[in-house]
Amino acid sequence: MNPGVQGEFKIVFTGPMGAGKTTAIAALSEVEPVRTEVENTDRMSHDKEFTTVGLDMGRITLPGGQVVRLYGTPGQARFRFMWDILGRGAAGAIILLDATQAGVLVQLDLFVDAFAAHVPRGAIVIGLGRTHQPGALASDAFAERLEARGFTLPVLSVDVRKRRDVMLLVETLACILEAQTTEGLPS
Amino acid sequence: MTPASRNIGRLSREFARRELATLVGTTGVRSAVLFSADGFEIASQATDSAAAARLAAIGSSLSALGSAIAAEAGLRDFERTMIESSDGTVLIMRVHGTRAMSLAAVADHGAVLGTLLWATQRCCEALGRIAGE
Ligand SMILES: Nc1nc2c(ncn2[C@@H]2O[C@H](COP(=O)(O)OP(=O)(O)OP(=O)(O)O)[C@@H](O)[C@H]2O)c(=O)[nH]1
Ligand SMILES: [Mg+2]
Repeated sequence: MNPGVQGEFKIVFTGPMGAGKTTAIAALSEVEPVRTEVENTDRMSHDKEFTTVGLDMGRITLPGGQVVRLYGTPGQARFRFMWDILGRGAAGAIILLDATQAGVLVQLDLFVDAFAAHVPRGAIVIGLGRTHQPGALASDAFAERLEARGFTLPVLSVDVRKRRDVMLLVETLACILEAQTTEGLPS
Repeated sequence: MTPASRNIGRLSREFARRELATLVGTTGVRSAVLFSADGFEIASQATDSAAAARLAAIGSSLSALGSAIAAEAGLRDFERTMIESSDGTVLIMRVHGTRAMSLAAVADHGAVLGTLLWATQRCCEALGRIAGE
């Protein structure tokens, strides 16, 4: 598993453009996160002003004292090389999705496949955003899609702007990691 | 029309391509790509168009990371970064204009570093002038 400073490990927030990776890390991090956002010129793909082209980086100390380094990826496929750079050595991944976005199940497949290659088996949690908005795909559809492809992963409905929701994602992932190792969290 | 084409008018794109051609005419310079801050190719002089698109995306990440590390060190914004390998150099330089853009120049060992820097700087200034119009 993830070698590194004892009691410290790295998780990656990933998912498509506008899912809320930068927002989630800003909501949770106990230090001012590093951001690499620039002007978004592709308003056809997502109508927001800024987009991440490098990485997000923050940190959270869990109640048990473990320090978790939080990394966020860019969302667009042209930044795939960053997914691989950031995925390397990660203890787990949190895939954020916008349940109202067209093609969101295809996005789910894309990110699960990309990060299953980097993290230990099963160390992925799915965070579904905007599930209460009109046009949102029911969360069952995500679980079924995963199951059909042989993945059993937690799917949680979250608001990435809420620290508590993002914390729940991280704690869920931490529980999975703990269950996977006899000595507790990876060190 | 690529999203980034909004960055620069049609005529200006032709002009940009000519400026890049001049840069690629410099000894040892193999290719040059002008790209938006969010990683879209705007104009290029390269034999492989897929490689130019990838260089644009990676170049934008490096520019943003350059800005992040400058900010971390308490310095002002990113101006340029140079990747030196055993057989060549990639120079990424910011273009000053109304829209955030950068230029990546790829050179082999035949390039003289000072000349590469000077020629790329000159190209960026010319591109900044048209982008600023
Ligand atoms: N109204 C509303 N806004 C939300 C909700 N969830 C997320 N958002 C907004 O969606 C946006 C997400 O943007 P980012 O955090 O930049 O997304 P990102 O995943 O980092 O995007 P890229 O870096 O472009 O890949 C933010 O403006 C959030 O405030 C929601 O449930 N309701
Ligand atoms: Mg982001």
